Amino acid sequence: MSSTLSIDGLRVSVGDKEVLKGFSLTMRSGEVHAIMGPNGSGKSTLAHALTGHPGYKVLDGSVTIDGVELLTLSATDRARAGLMLVLQQPFEIPGVRAFDLLEAAGAERSTLRARMLEEAERLELRPELLDRFVNVDLSGGERKRAEMVQLGILQPKFALLDEIDSGLDVDALDAVARRLVAATTEWNCGVLAITHFRRLLLELPPTMIHVMGNGRIVATGGPELAETLERDGYEAFRGVIA
Amino acid sequence: MTSFADTASSFIADRSDAAERRLAWSLFESLGLPSPSDEVWRYAPLGDLDLDRFAVASSPHRAPDSAFATQLCERAGLVVRVVDGFGVSAGDATPGVSVEFLGSQSSLNGESFLQRYEGDTFALLNVALAPGTTVIRVEAGVDVTDPIVVLNESSASASFSRTQIVVGRGASVTVVEYFEGGTDALVVPVSEYLVEDNASLQLITYQRLDASAWHVARTTGRLARDARLHQAVVGLGAHYDRSRNDAELFGAGAANELRTTFLGSGDQVHDFRTRQFHVAPRTTSTLLSKGAVADASRSVYTGLIEIEKGAKRTDARQTNHNLLLSRTAHADSVPNLDIRENDVMCAHASSVGPLDELQRWYLESRGVSRDDAQRLMIQGFFYEMLSALPAELAELVERDVASVLSSVAVVAA
Ligand SMILES: Nc1ncnc2c1ncn2[C@@H]1O[C@H](COP(=O)(O)OP(=O)(O)OP(=O)(O)O)[C@@H](O)[C@H]1O
Ligand SMILES: [Mg+2]
Repeated sequence: MSSTLSIDGLRVSVGDKEVLKGFSLTMRSGEVHAIMGPNGSGKSTLAHALTGHPGYKVLDGSVTIDGVELLTLSATDRARAGLMLVLQQPFEIPGVRAFDLLEAAGAERSTLRARMLEEAERLELRPELLDRFVNVDLSGGERKRAEMVQLGILQPKFALLDEIDSGLDVDALDAVARRLVAATTEWNCGVLAITHFRRLLLELPPTMIHVMGNGRIVATGGPELAETLERDGYEAFRGVIA
Repeated sequence: MTSFADTASSFIADRSDAAERRLAWSLFESLGLPSPSDEVWRYAPLGDLDLDRFAVASSPHRAPDSAFATQLCERAGLVVRVVDGFGVSAGDATPGVSVEFLGSQSSLNGESFLQRYEGDTFALLNVALAPGTTVIRVEAGVDVTDPIVVLNESSASASFSRTQIVVGRGASVTVVEYFEGGTDALVVPVSEYLVEDNASLQLITYQRLDASAWHVARTTGRLARDARLHQAVVGLGAHYDRSRNDAELFGAGAANELRTTFLGSGDQVHDFRTRQFHVAPRTTSTLLSKGAVADASRSVYTGLIEIEKGAKRTDARQTNHNLLLSRTAHADSVPNLDIRENDVMCAHASSVGPLDELQRWYLESRGVSRDDAQRLMIQGFFYEMLSALPAELAELVERDVASVLSSVAVVAA
């Protein structure tokens, strides 16, 4: 089944600062969209606001999956509606194991262990790390891979990845990108990937690339946009970013 | 009905060391039960404690093991069985480990028990009324791979167990002290640990008594040079759960890590006290206390860090987090410092409040409901404490903790 994620005119503040100033984007299941943009342009803010992070205040706008408004839902219900975020810096949840988390999130207990092991193998994550508390005593790259294990189990309609490539070594980057590409066909997952680097997008070819500046999208294009950015940086967008 | 004192005096009369016990008993009588106006017992519902409801057992009354105890024993390398304070089985011979049930012993600090505990009413009862002392010794240099379980069952209405664990130089061992039973009972255990030079003792005290029990426990660890004592104290059971856990770091470089955790429900009171006493230089103590109180339960955590003059470069840290799970639950936190040396690092933090909001959001953002997220996080308090246990033992205790938690209203106020 194909779904549509639609973000329209989203305005979000952090503290007393307005960070997202009318962000709009529409994507469908199975598509890969990349968001690029300079530090501080609001990429993580977008990710947090979509998933109901308590530190962000939505001022205006709408976010829907197949017409169902998410912004009025709890974080739990947004996840159940099909949205999942992998954080730029996944944090530790001491005392809680991924197995128990995933079971509480609705994964079938009898097959869960086997599925986690299978995902770990696809991501080249040492299986014994699955038994640790969520992200505790894991390296930066291991955390990213462990989060991807959860993604493979939860199979969200839309996956939001905030700099999934940061902290990953080259082999891990390939494994993660392959897993995401497979997800787009396995369960028709829509992938919204925030990244600074073209490298990820070579392995995970985007349907579209959006450039963010100062809280909104300032340019949208195909893969050639990533090339331009790699060559010239954000210079060409100075004017619009302001 | 015979009074508690009558049963105590006939118990004492039958002992070979009756004279010393009588001294302890008369000291207990002259001190009397503490009154709630006594600062140290301020939170104890002592008004409800009628000693005459209890009788001192003259012999052990063994009850069937709980399913949990059975499974715990299956996973142990050595099981030492103590029933109503009487040592009933020393378990299978284990290389490098000796287990003895001895009569009057002296305290591991060299004093008599009477001297050692003369100011502590309940410990004095133990001195007078414990049938004997269970002494576990690990020989120097021995690394005991499988955990030792000391299974304390209480079926009598009053029981007093006493345990000493001595870990020889460079040796290492994991010990689980487990308490069950205690329906309508008074349970007053005293434990002492001596960790010699460069030795390591990993200790889990798991208190799972019946919700009607009065539990007043005291443990003291003594640490020699470069010794390590990692102790986790988990309190789930009892009506009144008093747990005093002290460490005395008298050898340079000794390290104590103490983690205490409890879950209160119904009208339970958990009363945790700690004292980290730094005598020697370069000693460290890390104390983490995490507890949750639900329903109309209460908790108090009182922690003292005491640093002796000359204990230079001591590093002592104390953290206490309390979680309120209902409007009628109550938690107090009382950190104290007594420092007589300048060249030290000392920190304490305490909080009474809700669960970490960001951690909860993380779980919810994966589709976990709020109630389940809270339950997972509180369960996590206990799981963290158990992480030092061998995996299959930890898994067993975790399941037990989870089963208790599932019957408690875990909804933050
Ligand atoms: N808690 C906060 N209080 C105040 N300002 C904040 C807070 N968190 C973020 N900001 C500001 O919001 C802006 C956007 O931050 P955001 O994290 O969304 O940027 P980003 O595009 O993800 O950057 P990066 O590429 O560095 O990850 C920044 O200017 C940042 O300083
Ligand atoms: Mg960011």
